Amino acid sequence: MKNFQIRSKIVNGVAVLYLKGHLDAHQVARFEKELIRLIKESNFNILINGQDLNYITSAGMGIIMGYIDEVREKGGDIKLCSLTERVYETFDLVGFTEIYDFVQNEQVALEKFSRISPKT
Amino acid sequence: MKNSAVFLQKPDFSITIFSQTQLLKMVVELTRHITSLINFSAAEAQKISLAIDEAVTNVIKHSYDNATDQQITIEYFLAPGGIKIRIFYRGLPPDISDEEINVSKMIKKKKKGGLGVKLMKTIMDSVTYETMDGVNCCEMIKWQKTI
Repeated sequence: MKNFQIRSKIVNGVAVLYLKGHLDAHQVARFEKELIRLIKESNFNILINGQDLNYITSAGMGIIMGYIDEVREKGGDIKLCSLTERVYETFDLVGFTEIYDFVQNEQVALEKFSRISPKT
Repeated sequence: MKNSAVFLQKPDFSITIFSQTQLLKMVVELTRHITSLINFSAAEAQKISLAIDEAVTNVIKHSYDNATDQQITIEYFLAPGGIKIRIFYRGLPPDISDEEINVSKMIKKKKKGGLGVKLMKTIMDSVTYETMDGVNCCEMIKWQKTI
């Protein structure tokens, strides 16, 4: 079984990324590749669902940090939802929780996205 | 801050690994297990493991420039109420700034790195680097919280 799995789908115009397992420097290239693919396909409303993510390091957080500005410049956002307490705490340790939108669950996050539309 | 003199000269555990990111998870699991031996909570053990992960990742990426055939030695010193971890490696010495890392500024610069050191310093009570005769050492200490 792989240590880290990633899959994505488009829900109501929002690209939802499902992260599962252990995301460290060894696995991070797959995460970045998928994020770049979504952005290249003009998906600027991106939701990272971390319900099954049990570990993240700065490598994974750095990827989000590296692309958030580009996405926001296009009128979109990268939001995060359904994180476990420990993963949320890791984001909090570096101050991400003050800058990014962390939402309780996917449904609430999708509703928040429906109130914004990307710039063309 | 407690006195680090309580730690013995010789490590309780030591492991030498190749500079390969595929081994990071093993180091994390080992660190988590060792910290649990001295009764750190599961949450604290996870954080300490994360700090070690970040330190070793920095060594592989920056000091060894992702070369996979270099060596990294990790030593664990246990004491009542605390743990000291020393990471030895060669290669480039670390470029550690004391400047406070500002995430908002990093976003504006589209930076993807630099968070690891912030995590290490936030999690551990002490993080020090030194280089002697071409060998670099990152030493980190964490004390249990007293209730």
